[in-house]
Amino acid sequence: MIIMGDILLYALTGIVYWWWTANLSVFGVAPNLIFIAALSAAIIARPAKALAYCFFFGLYLDFLGASLFGAYALIYTLMAYGIYMMKRHLDLVGSFSQVVAALILTPVIMFFYQGLSLTLGRINPLQLKGLLIEPFLNALLAPLMFHFFAQLKKRSGIL
Amino acid sequence: MNREKDMANYAAVFFVFISVLLLLLPSSQIAHTARVLVSYSLVPSLHYGEKYDYYVRNIPENFLNLLKTDQENRALKDRIRELEISIKTAESDREENRRLAAEMGLSRELPLKGVWARVVNKNPQEWYGAFFVNKGSREGITPGSTVIGVENGRVGLAGRIFEVYQDFSKVLLITNSVSSVICSLPGASFEGLAEGRGTWLLKINYIPEGSEISEGMELRTSPGGLLFPQGLSVGRVKTVYPRESFMNFITADVAPAINIGALKEVYIVKRELPPDLSALSETLKK
Repeated sequence: MIIMGDILLYALTGIVYWWWTANLSVFGVAPNLIFIAALSAAIIARPAKALAYCFFFGLYLDFLGASLFGAYALIYTLMAYGIYMMKRHLDLVGSFSQVVAALILTPVIMFFYQGLSLTLGRINPLQLKGLLIEPFLNALLAPLMFHFFAQLKKRSGIL
Repeated sequence: MNREKDMANYAAVFFVFISVLLLLLPSSQIAHTARVLVSYSLVPSLHYGEKYDYYVRNIPENFLNLLKTDQENRALKDRIRELEISIKTAESDREENRRLAAEMGLSRELPLKGVWARVVNKNPQEWYGAFFVNKGSREGITPGSTVIGVENGRVGLAGRIFEVYQDFSKVLLITNSVSSVICSLPGASFEGLAEGRGTWLLKINYIPEGSEISEGMELRTSPGGLLFPQGLSVGRVKTVYPRESFMNFITADVAPAINIGALKEVYIVKRELPPDLSALSETLKK
């Protein structure tokens, strides 16, 4: 039953992300809800499940794009593993640490994707406005998404 | 604790392996299966979400549109009568053009019949890369179909269909870094390759040295290109760069004919090949 909840949560996150980018993008910039969801899942869920969540969230972003299929899946999987290692030494449950994590990881992921794109496809997908604004939007929404995911885990056991 | 650690390590290796496999073998069966699986999570958002969101959002506007439509309807009826006369003249011109083109062995005109589609999703991570439209295989859309945009009465090439699902399709924009269009200048004897750069501008390459190209010139799809119907506006030359010492061609920046980032609706051209070319295409498939 929990697996159905996980699938529903995955689909719901995708729908909210779709709706936000379709209706609330300002000059082509919007918070990357998929990244925030992946970050929250990586912090809250058990390691193997967190990796699976991040892999599939990455795959979702890959599907929306038309360039490298599998790049986001790889990056988000590595991010989940990195967070699993970090969790042992750092407290990521606090809002401040989530804001800092989102602020640092967003550009790291963008540069990683840029590197992969340049290496494998000679494509240059990095947008300057996204690089400058998106980390702050993600950082603002990260604690809210984390709170939502944490409540979901507490009440229904999903994640 | 150790078991959990082992599980995490195994899972990490497994997912990294799958990701790398998808990256390195993009057209393999595993990549195709992954695409289809993920597409199912998009079906409700793209199809039903977009459909109901559009109707709910437009209720007040639709009421006003009803009144406007009645007035427009009267004006359009008069216009139709005028156009019927023009059509009769155009038909005879087209027939003559077809006959002359066949006699002279020139390339043939492909009819631009298609369907209108709404842009239902744009990924901010790839704003100039791709977007989704709300028409799919159910409406007869096929991969490779030409996508045209209209903005303030201007018609221009937007891209082509990249992936098709039942009720939605993905459009690869001409501004995508992997896109390229063979272009020509009306009246000029040379052709060039307009390539996307992932930004709002295109770059045209391979223009022979000494060609008369200057800022403001309009580029159109070339008769030599097989992907797009000929004569569609691609954009206007913005900046011409002088030839580098190590190259024997010149390059230029091109501003697309339409603002790709602001498109709300597009026209998808279903390419209906003439019978002789369709037969050839079928033979090649076999």
